[in-house]
Amino acid sequence: MRVTFQEELDQLEASLQEEGALVLRVLRGALNALAQRDVELADEVISFDDDVDRLYLQIEQEIESLLARQTPVATDLRLVLAMLHVNLHLERMADYSVTIAKLTKLVADVEPDPMLLLSLQEMGERAEEMIRVALDSLANRDLHAAESLVDLDELIDRSNRRFVERVVEIVAEPGLREWVLRMVLVSRTLERIGDHAVDIGEQVAYLLTAEFREFTDASHPENNA
Amino acid sequence: MSAVQPALTMRGDSRVRRRRIVNRLAESAATIAALAAVAVLGIVIFSVAKRAGGELSWGFLTEDLPTFGQTGGGIAPLIVGSGILVGIATAIALPLGVLTALFLSEFAPRRLSAAIQLTIDLMNGLPSVIIGIFAFGLLVYGHTQSAYAGGFALSIVMLPLIARSTQEVLRLVPRSQREGALALGVSRWRIVVGIVLPSALGGILTGTVLAIARAAGETAPLLFTTSIFVNQLTTDPRHAMPNIPVQIFIWSESADPEDHKRAWASALVLIVFVLLTSLLARLALARTRRKLSR
Amino acid sequence: MTQVTMPPMRPVDVAERREASPETREPVFEIRGLTARYGTNVAIKDVNLEISRNLITAVIGPSGCGKSTFIRCLNRMNDEIGSFDHDGQILYHGIDLYGDGVDPVEVRRRIGMVFQKPNPFPKTIYDNVAWAPRVLGLKQGLDERVERALKGAALWDEVKDRLKRSALSLSGGQQQRLCIARAIAIEPEVLLLDEPASALDPIATASIEELMHSLKEDYTLVIVTHNMQQAARVADRTAFFSLDVDESGRAGVLVEYDETTKIFTAPSDKRTEDYVTGRFG
Repeated sequence: MRVTFQEELDQLEASLQEEGALVLRVLRGALNALAQRDVELADEVISFDDDVDRLYLQIEQEIESLLARQTPVATDLRLVLAMLHVNLHLERMADYSVTIAKLTKLVADVEPDPMLLLSLQEMGERAEEMIRVALDSLANRDLHAAESLVDLDELIDRSNRRFVERVVEIVAEPGLREWVLRMVLVSRTLERIGDHAVDIGEQVAYLLTAEFREFTDASHPENNA
Repeated sequence: MSAVQPALTMRGDSRVRRRRIVNRLAESAATIAALAAVAVLGIVIFSVAKRAGGELSWGFLTEDLPTFGQTGGGIAPLIVGSGILVGIATAIALPLGVLTALFLSEFAPRRLSAAIQLTIDLMNGLPSVIIGIFAFGLLVYGHTQSAYAGGFALSIVMLPLIARSTQEVLRLVPRSQREGALALGVSRWRIVVGIVLPSALGGILTGTVLAIARAAGETAPLLFTTSIFVNQLTTDPRHAMPNIPVQIFIWSESADPEDHKRAWASALVLIVFVLLTSLLARLALARTRRKLSR
Repeated sequence: MTQVTMPPMRPVDVAERREASPETREPVFEIRGLTARYGTNVAIKDVNLEISRNLITAVIGPSGCGKSTFIRCLNRMNDEIGSFDHDGQILYHGIDLYGDGVDPVEVRRRIGMVFQKPNPFPKTIYDNVAWAPRVLGLKQGLDERVERALKGAALWDEVKDRLKRSALSLSGGQQQRLCIARAIAIEPEVLLLDEPASALDPIATASIEELMHSLKEDYTLVIVTHNMQQAARVADRTAFFSLDVDESGRAGVLVEYDETTKIFTAPSDKRTEDYVTGRFG
């Protein structure tokens, strides 16, 4: 029954996963540009974001049309709402990757501090991993994987602490001050990407359990998953 | 003085009691009237059967008519004759009646249909003696009596009955059936033949049987058209044909008490035939009605 | 009166139909200034729209707005009502359906109809589907024709072993699919459906809606429904009719006609918005 409707849902989810794959490429591009101080690559990343935005808009419109025409209920409704949120999180993650690329361009001519750069690459790899886990947890309807994102977020936090320690050490060096400032912004951005990945996990949990639960609640740390 | 509500009991007051009594009286009166009507029929059958006495036997139904003065004998030729007369009448009235009903139900514009409907109703109410005289004037005067004339006269009796009952069954065929067939791009006549008639067939048949039961007993039309004959078995429709109702009439006027007995016995045969066929036909019609209104 | 030849019955050209996008599809009906009356009552007033090939077009609107009148004009079923009269034109592949020399019986061969209450004939399942083709002279390959029609109506598997049983032994949803099979057995181009699922339970309704999706590959469908969610689920284009009250009385008018998604997400006319959001009608 409702074969056409089911096909539409499947198509929408496939588009979403496609968007996820694009986001991973954008992030990887931004991280590479940062590591190699590659301005051309950074520009490519910035323009590639347009593709993500296009897909984002298309998915948004399809969801609107689906809601209006098919009046989904129960699990179907939760799926559509979850996809609506995930769509937004993915688009934001791509935007943040663009931010990293822009920051890279700004200080491309400065000789970087290798330790700091390493920390950032670690954080970037954690973020990538979290995006992958989030997308897979949606594709496989895996609640356990979705909840594990909180722990992965912890890893980003740890990398961030090491990063801050190093910043404190070298911030006094005159040639590096602007660069360090920009890199602090990069680390902030990578953390935010991680947060959005956790949000995706929350949406998957909502889809599977019909309950919306924040995995990490800053004002109620005792409720943390 | 403040209004104090009387205690609410479900027992009625005198007005209710009076109403109940009136109800009972009315019911009883209706029941008695119905029983009286049934009783009349019962009395008729009973008295005829009593007077028919022992005359009714298998031989009575199968033997030839008695010659003058003889005892015994049977009414076989009369049965055959009545059969042929009714057969001719059915052959005329059935197609005409069904076609008329079809025309009225499926094809006629409203004004014309009202006019034809009125004509059929009037025909239904025609006194049978008028029908007899009409048939006489048309087919007998100037020629001789014949079974054709008798059959024709009977068909006038049967036509409105068949048309009416056919109309009734056609009306029972739901409009949605016709609509469905129309939407398939099938022409009107094909719809009638393929959808409407097959559904109505059962009802048409029973309507015809009822008309036959009625025609079998009509006397006046036959008196004028097929009453002067030689008491022999004849099956030639160009001549007058002996038949049950006319023979009952003739025998009842005879001086011979044996003839009277025969008249009563023939009357009993007629009544039983009419009753049985009417009953069976009505049961079948009820079944058709149930089938069509599912 | 010269006989107008209707366009020849073309064999199904599936590939060609599938590739056309909604905007470039050929119109099957062009309705121009259609006003329909029963005696002095105007049922619909000045309707203009085009119905395209191989799409499902839904007609929605409140009771009494002339939806059924409109759809019955498309196959001249309104001819059955003596007081019916009309102005304007209904062009079917360029030919005015009500023009001189056009035989309504021929019209209905190409434009079939399925009704609100299933109305199978009191015959066997096989005969229900086979009767019209037989009567219309399509006697060749009758068995295959019946099988194709029943398959097209998604009923074959359920009835293939009891074709000789009475059609009245089927459930409501099955009877309605039988009526659809009956209609497509004569290979029309268009199928008009007047509230086809309103007499059915939700599961039977869903099966009919599913069926319509597959039917539109071979036929052009026009459906009248008072259930606008059904129109939303099923139709490619939706026409919204509403009542227009003025000095001369009340008549149905076409308020808005657009892609279904647009009607249900961002309708242009406030009356449409009020109707689909359930605030009126």
